[in-house]
Amino acid sequence: MRSRHFAGYLFASPWVLTFLIFWLFPLLYSLCLGFTDYRLLKPTYNWVGFSNFAALFSDRAFLESLKNTFIFVIGTIPFTTAIALFLALLIEKKFPGRTLFRSGFFMPSITAMVVIALIFTNLYSRGGYIYLMAEMLGLSPPENGFLLSSKTALFSVMAMDIWMSVGYYMLLFLAGLKSIPGELYEAAEVAGAGTLRKFFSITLPLLKPVTLFIIVINTIKSFQVFVEIFVMTKGKYGSSTAVYFIYETGLNRFEFGHASAAAYILFLIIAVFSIVQFGLLRQRGIR
Amino acid sequence: MKAIKYFILSLILIVMVFPLVWMFRVSLLPADVGLSFEGFISEAFTLTIYYDIISSGNMVKYFINSTVVGMAVTAGNILFCFMVGYALSRYRFIGKNLWFYSVIFVLMIPVHIMIIPLYLLIFKLGFYDTYGALILPFLVNPIGIFLVKQYIDTLPPSMEEAARIDGAGELRILFRVVMPLCKPALAVLAIQVFLTNWNSFLFPFILTSSESVRTLPVGLALYQGHQAIDWPHLMAGSALAVIPVLLIFLFFQRQIVSGITAGAIKQ
Repeated sequence: MRSRHFAGYLFASPWVLTFLIFWLFPLLYSLCLGFTDYRLLKPTYNWVGFSNFAALFSDRAFLESLKNTFIFVIGTIPFTTAIALFLALLIEKKFPGRTLFRSGFFMPSITAMVVIALIFTNLYSRGGYIYLMAEMLGLSPPENGFLLSSKTALFSVMAMDIWMSVGYYMLLFLAGLKSIPGELYEAAEVAGAGTLRKFFSITLPLLKPVTLFIIVINTIKSFQVFVEIFVMTKGKYGSSTAVYFIYETGLNRFEFGHASAAAYILFLIIAVFSIVQFGLLRQRGIR
Repeated sequence: MKAIKYFILSLILIVMVFPLVWMFRVSLLPADVGLSFEGFISEAFTLTIYYDIISSGNMVKYFINSTVVGMAVTAGNILFCFMVGYALSRYRFIGKNLWFYSVIFVLMIPVHIMIIPLYLLIFKLGFYDTYGALILPFLVNPIGIFLVKQYIDTLPPSMEEAARIDGAGELRILFRVVMPLCKPALAVLAIQVFLTNWNSFLFPFILTSSESVRTLPVGLALYQGHQAIDWPHLMAGSALAVIPVLLIFLFFQRQIVSGITAGAIKQ
């Protein structure tokens, strides 16, 4: 029995070490940094209390990046969720070619974000395909392309993000649809319910847990949008987001204390959603 | 009705795959040609650009770096996630619940919080700008542990007990008895880890600086920074990043889909 205790520890040790060194320590370290004026090339640093946090709340660049992050979250998630559900309903039942459509819709989700962002940088640029299409439709796209105008830069990145992630959430919706017992629909049919009635009285209510879950994980992900901003706009033209601000402050200007404080503010915002997520995970039977 | 459905589906399919088709098309242009609506079909299809990026420049180097790092991280995750998942599923030891909750905890930590401290830690450990920075922190991941634990929870312990009665040691039971039973879960895990690692940008970007250890996504993102954007070369490099993913998708679609639906806990 003793040796089995030992074996248990031994087998769990890779995680224990990784957790302590690469997760717990950095997490606490950056919390401490948030209360210091630590920056590169400065031999000593001082405790400055909450002054990093106070400074951030009057820092226009930070507030704007936070505002953009909220715009990003609120502006993408309803569309992503609705379109993903629509796609899932379209290909729910078996029909010839179903696998082809499912794979095609899903393809962007497993492609590297950097690659997608590069392709769309091309498509959005002056003379790019999307630009030309907008012209053909009689819209007047910004002169230098969609990403070089503060009117359209952020929204263009958001549109790409929706396009990219609907396939992923479609798969989750499909799994949710699969778990609805067929007898419910049969019973509803016997009772004379039409397609719409069945959708609103059976499908939608029973998809509520999956939908909630999808919205929560997508919210957490979207609050951290960074790669596409880095590749497509470098945070210019009113498109800087919170994580882009953290990157710029911390790793371009090397103001580690300031950046850590910003990271923790975002962390607290996300924590609200993480707590909901934890509750949902528990419901799904995690002990 | 059916025709309408297929029409809508086909339309959506075109919207979803066109950008990737576009990427391949641009990468197959002759080097000195600009892009235009008409050129999509009328321009020649050549492999000139591919010869170019393979014979000169750093794309091949980035590709090899991505492969090496991807393989190492995947191998580490198969071994370690399996060990840890097994320990958490089968053994009783002091603090076990605590370690299990640490897995859930990390699962829910938004990664942006790690950018600054991990950068500083890797720097101080002396791993900055080495393969070590790209591999060591990522050798075991909470989703993988979780996946394996859930899977082993569903296996009956009778085989292990029989082996134990026969006098087999714990290590032997782990690798000879349990591991073969876990193959389906480990396949899902391996594919998920490899794809995630292959596509990842954030940490490889912040933890390295020189071209010699740069991975493909980082190389591509920074390539853009030079002079005027050279789209054919950039799209050919992007194709190098996409082709392995397409192949994996072609052969392991079932594992990818089940990995996503089973492990849909965190992005």
